[in-house]
Amino acid sequence: MFLAGKTEEGDGETFSTQMPPETDIHPSPRTVKIAGRAAAFSTAGALAQSRHVTRDPMWLRVLLTTIALLFLLGFLFVPLAAVFAEALRGGVGMYLAAFSSPDARAAIRLTLLVTAICIPANTAFGIAAAWAVTKHDFRGKSLLLALLDLPFAVSPVVAGLVFVLVFGRHGWLGPANLEILFAPVAPAFGAFVDSCGLRGTFLGPLAEWLAEPSLLPVLFSPPGIVLATIFVSCPFVARELIPLMQAQGADEELAALSLGASGWRTFWHVTLPNIKWALFYGVVLCGARAMGEFGAVSVISGKIRGETNTLPLHVEILFNEYNSVGAFAVASLLALLALVSLALKTFAEWRFKKEAM
Amino acid sequence: MSVTAEIISKTFGSYAALDKVSLHAPAGKLVALLGPSGSGKTTLLRIIAGLEKPDPGSGRILFDGEDVTDVAPGKRGVGFVFQHYALFRHMSVAENIAFGLKARPWRERPSKADIKARVEDLLRLVQLETFGARLPAQLSGGQRQRVALARALAVQPRVLLLDEPFGALDAKVRRDLRRWLRHFHAEAHLTTIFVTHDQEEALEIADEVVVMNQARVEQVGPPREIYDHPATPFVHRFLGNVNQVALPWAGIRPGVSVPTEGGIAFVRPHDIEILLPEGATPGIDDPNATGAPARITDIHAAGPVAKIAAKRDDGLGVLDIELPRPRLAILRLNEGDRIRLRVRPRANP
Repeated sequence: MFLAGKTEEGDGETFSTQMPPETDIHPSPRTVKIAGRAAAFSTAGALAQSRHVTRDPMWLRVLLTTIALLFLLGFLFVPLAAVFAEALRGGVGMYLAAFSSPDARAAIRLTLLVTAICIPANTAFGIAAAWAVTKHDFRGKSLLLALLDLPFAVSPVVAGLVFVLVFGRHGWLGPANLEILFAPVAPAFGAFVDSCGLRGTFLGPLAEWLAEPSLLPVLFSPPGIVLATIFVSCPFVARELIPLMQAQGADEELAALSLGASGWRTFWHVTLPNIKWALFYGVVLCGARAMGEFGAVSVISGKIRGETNTLPLHVEILFNEYNSVGAFAVASLLALLALVSLALKTFAEWRFKKEAM
Repeated sequence: MSVTAEIISKTFGSYAALDKVSLHAPAGKLVALLGPSGSGKTTLLRIIAGLEKPDPGSGRILFDGEDVTDVAPGKRGVGFVFQHYALFRHMSVAENIAFGLKARPWRERPSKADIKARVEDLLRLVQLETFGARLPAQLSGGQRQRVALARALAVQPRVLLLDEPFGALDAKVRRDLRRWLRHFHAEAHLTTIFVTHDQEEALEIADEVVVMNQARVEQVGPPREIYDHPATPFVHRFLGNVNQVALPWAGIRPGVSVPTEGGIAFVRPHDIEILLPEGATPGIDDPNATGAPARITDIHAAGPVAKIAAKRDDGLGVLDIELPRPRLAILRLNEGDRIRLRVRPRANP
């Protein structure tokens, strides 16, 4: 019936009954018959085709499955097992000793700290970006979408170098440029602080720093590591949310608004519950990337032991010092974190599917 | 409460969805916005609800004469029902209905017990008393739409706005819900505007029909007037089936008034009579018979009304004719038979 209703004007038969567009009340007898026949035909065709598609020969199916399994075994399972085997070669005592050195502990602490800063920052950014892209129309939307993929496209080493270029001694925001930048305001600010008699407060050192800026504490220090990590892991949350929020549309939000809910209430009670599993999934991926990031961090951190060494960098240092048990022990910790992430991710996927049904 | 839209325009980029459209829904009436997809009817409804803004400086929306163009949707006192329900999928039916009440600022928020009582009233109203604890995903389409109605009514709106409310439902459920809405409206007298592309739906339940086409209003009036006296060829084509008959045609006798435009007459299929030559058996041509000669090409007799297609002898097209089944049985027509056709004089009151 509906098919028949859709055949509307402009079919050349000017003098025949013309169906009003999108009406399925009184389709003319001829169109009904034709539509009925076409539907029956296409259903039969689809059935025959689907049967054909699932009927691959047995040997082909076995071959494909075997190739996939062998690949997984060789490239994923064996290396993972090797990491743990190597780490435990000297016994459990040596394994645990690898974590007791102050440098190792500092590396663990720094990695956790960076991850703990990175995840909320990227979650907030990801939700904001996904919200902007999916619920609103604005100029530069496609540009934002393209930029969102930049951290995936660009090599992490390049990302690290960018920060060195910006914040380094001769960088765009290096001391020389900062001095030029602040020159117009620094004397006035200093005079203002003096006139108010505030030299003794925190404004005193600030005025001094403005008059003679030193290197910003980014390069070779934790803030730089955080920046680099945020850069490489920022697309994960947004990338997870955008397709889901696009599929869900804005109707539920509009319904909430028309019922008198504030924007804030709409977000907490309608949007967030609808995206929570995708959000969780994105956060897990973001965390996994933040903990494992090597390239960008290695450029900007300076690898100062006990201060700017993260877990992946620590593994490299130990390995270069021929301390293979220590290197693999720390590596096994990273692998373990990855496995936990994987488990969380699978759980999120499972819940996600269950709720979608 | 009456709703008035004054010369509203809305463009999306270079596409004009509404072109200086005005509309008046009198207080307590059930008004249908009828038109094909892309005619702008949904956009107009969303602008009335405040979910969409009219083009800057283009016009005003008035509720009882009060300008609400810049009032937020939640403060307009409208209940909006979406075509695809837009129920909050993670909330139970009862929570969905209570949402609007709980979202009020605490000063105006009813007590928990009041909210519960109100939700139960509404569940009874939409005949879903035992479904309060279910999730929307566990309901059928018709049940979901009733929940959406209850949710919109919970905030005691001054206007009820429905966007293709029955469009996604199957025929029987659609008919039941349509009847339900008619009854509800007869009792509550809540000003209601609903969008539909289904002319039968609009004609059956609306007090007033606004026919829209290509971002403009084509005609406004009570269903019967719109059906009997379409103002434009578009309305004629859109409301009910119609034959576009190339003139001259012997089937239209002098004295029978038929709407025409540009050498084309508009004739409804049920306004065409089939004549058999007096005393003649079907298939034999009688040059003295009145009416225009034609040949039956197709008979479709499933349902209460038989649908017949007949090709004009002068080759200027095919006509669709509808007649009651008993009449078909009396005439004993077969495909290929020669017949004569004429337009029945209108029996206007």
